[in-house]
Amino acid sequence: MREIRIKPRRRFLVPVEAEGISPDVLAPLTLEDIERLEVWEGNRRSRLSDLFAIEGDDGPGEAEDAYLLLRGDFSRVKRIGEKMTCGMIEVDGDLGMHAGNGMAGGEISIRGGAGDWLGREMRGGLINVSGDAGDYVGAGYRGESCGMRGGEIRIEGDAGDYLGEHLCGGKITVLGDAGDFPGIANRGGVIIIGGDAHLPGAEMASGTITVFGRARVLPSYQYQDTVDIDGRSLKKFLGDLVDGGKGELYVASLEA
Amino acid sequence: MIIEGGIVYDPRNGVLGEEMDISIEDGRVVEESRDGDKIDARGMLVMPGGLDAHAHIAGAKVNTGRIMRPEDGRRGAEARTKLLRPQSGYTVPNCYAIGYRYARLGYTTAFEAATPILEARHTHEELEEIPIVDKGALTLFGNNWEVLECVRDGDLGKLAAFVAWGLRASRGYGVKVVNPGGGEAWGFGGNVKGIDDPVPNFGVTPREIIRGLMRANEALGLPHSVHLHTNNLGKPGNYETTLETLRAVEDIAASRDRQVLHVTHMQFSAYGGTGWKDFESKAPEIAGYFNRHQQFTMDMGQLIFGSATTMTADAPLEYGNARLLKAKWSNHDIELEESSGVVPLVYGRKMPINAIQWAIGLELALLTEDPWQVIMTTDHPNGGPFVNYPEVIALLMSRAKREEELASLHELASSRSSLPSIEREMGWEDIAIVTRAGPARILGLPEKGHLGFGADGDVSIYDIDPKKLDPSKDHERVKAALSRAKYTIKGGEVVVRDGEIVAVPQGRTYWVDASVPEDEAAKVRADLVDKFTRYYSVQLSNYMVQDAYVTRPRVVRAGVV
Repeated sequence: MREIRIKPRRRFLVPVEAEGISPDVLAPLTLEDIERLEVWEGNRRSRLSDLFAIEGDDGPGEAEDAYLLLRGDFSRVKRIGEKMTCGMIEVDGDLGMHAGNGMAGGEISIRGGAGDWLGREMRGGLINVSGDAGDYVGAGYRGESCGMRGGEIRIEGDAGDYLGEHLCGGKITVLGDAGDFPGIANRGGVIIIGGDAHLPGAEMASGTITVFGRARVLPSYQYQDTVDIDGRSLKKFLGDLVDGGKGELYVASLEA
Repeated sequence: MIIEGGIVYDPRNGVLGEEMDISIEDGRVVEESRDGDKIDARGMLVMPGGLDAHAHIAGAKVNTGRIMRPEDGRRGAEARTKLLRPQSGYTVPNCYAIGYRYARLGYTTAFEAATPILEARHTHEELEEIPIVDKGALTLFGNNWEVLECVRDGDLGKLAAFVAWGLRASRGYGVKVVNPGGGEAWGFGGNVKGIDDPVPNFGVTPREIIRGLMRANEALGLPHSVHLHTNNLGKPGNYETTLETLRAVEDIAASRDRQVLHVTHMQFSAYGGTGWKDFESKAPEIAGYFNRHQQFTMDMGQLIFGSATTMTADAPLEYGNARLLKAKWSNHDIELEESSGVVPLVYGRKMPINAIQWAIGLELALLTEDPWQVIMTTDHPNGGPFVNYPEVIALLMSRAKREEELASLHELASSRSSLPSIEREMGWEDIAIVTRAGPARILGLPEKGHLGFGADGDVSIYDIDPKKLDPSKDHERVKAALSRAKYTIKGGEVVVRDGEIVAVPQGRTYWVDASVPEDEAAKVRADLVDKFTRYYSVQLSNYMVQDAYVTRPRVVRAGVV
């Protein structure tokens, strides 16, 4: 395994576009080449080493053996792990928006929180978040008919609004609460919410959403019966009937 | 400028693969050029600049497509350069990308295919922003209340006067008719089912509308014929409606040396079957009819697999598309004139219907014997984006490529069409006709589509030697070379070199100014005052496209006085 450690040199005031911080991009490069990678801070072009201290094993190597350790505040650093297919990124701190965009394999593990659009249009792999995540986890970007299609996202804290919007496959687990409209317009995939959620599954065509806490259910959902999941009794609904949907929604407790 | 030693295909002037020089001076082809600029085109294919006679590139519905499809926008995103402005989009590119991408293909002229008069300002605002190419816009008349009333009253003189006024009001180039009567019926949630189905509240039939507008078009002697999108377009079994429409106008004669009717994106109008289950190609029937009737022309409307954005004034059709595909849908009512819709979709190789549609477009072009009767189009972006023209050309030139493609498609493409048995492979003469000389003749643009003296200095040069290359076998080379012109010359200026844009001049906008007798014009004016007072949401005085919207016009005169 080749370890590469990356640390911000300072606090960023404007977002940094760092799609290069991914095992696929960095693995074939030596440390010197990595330092020379182009990165944009707002409208200013820099070298990666201008913004980040980079150290670790000199390369090059295979992407599947790459282990990127990110320490510090990455909350304004966007697109980390974009389109990665293998390898591992571990983050000790918060991560910015669009982490794991279109990711196809490998793992991102975040000991901290994640920004909006985490794992957007993800195809495979695993993302773990020990803190909270922002809005649009596993969603499709503006106008897309499919968000996440495969892989798994696990969030130990809360998720923001529009969790799994246009979800077409894969699995998202949130141990805490989800915000408004989780699974909106989803066409497949699995969403499990440990806490509460508001109006899950609006426009759902197919897929499964399970809410172990309280949820407000849309009037366009049809009650089926009570089922037993993991030793708990949940109410099963089908919908969203507004869209002729055949999605399954399980809710532990109904919010009036 | 002298283009030296290229292998020239200029079918209108009978030049078929001759090695010759082309001289351009002051933007026109001349016998001898005085300046010393030289372009070495030895061993390269030289043709007149490409001309797209039917594409949706500007105006309200194109912009609706962009607004509906941010996901399409990011697919074609390219940053600005010192010379170029930022680009976006694949099926609905932004204005700049449209001009650049046409130029890279060697195209120098493109016509927007459908503009309602009410929204013509928007069309011209966008045309003004499309760089490099010359352009024009066809104006929609097929569902306009004034047209329907003139047809109902049998007042051909007034109809012609209104057409002339509408062209002027929209700064339009020709008469576009989309699902005549159906757009008006859609205002009440209905459609017309055939050419003899009366339009609600007007009592006129599509047959009468088409005949009336064609006779008005010929009375005015317009450079282009009526440009028709047939009734029942996109529906299984519609080839009968298409043939019935053509038979209904066989007696009308053209007033100029051109076709009397152009049926557009014929692929969508050549369907057999009673439903989607027994859907099949009727392209041989359509092409057979065209082979016996030289007065009609068509364009292919070839389907391209992948993402497309359908946009048309045929609003009921788009409603059907949206329901069938559960797709995004925009529907629009254009007051007294038209309705329209936009629906994005994806054409799949393994989808039986799409695979058959793909075959139909090619069948139409290959089975119609006279290439002057067919234009190569994809009905951009309805069948697919225009950047795929080199793919279509490669398919027309190579049976081997067609067989390779057929093998990757749903098998119904082979069993429900005649494409597998078609041996014809187009040569460079045919290609120069279906992409250049033909569209110029069909649109009535004598200075376009050829390289004779006095023609516009629009030339495309491709890095392939037609004497050495066999397009049938080496179709990949053909596609690659046509995708990135070695040179594109627009009005005597090199705009593309080695596939890259090197200059961004502004093209001109064609429109037709047709004169009519004053008494007929007065009748139209009185009607318009009444309609604008009672129905329109805008004032008549705010309605016309003013000259300020068309800063570089090329006005073509026509008319009866």
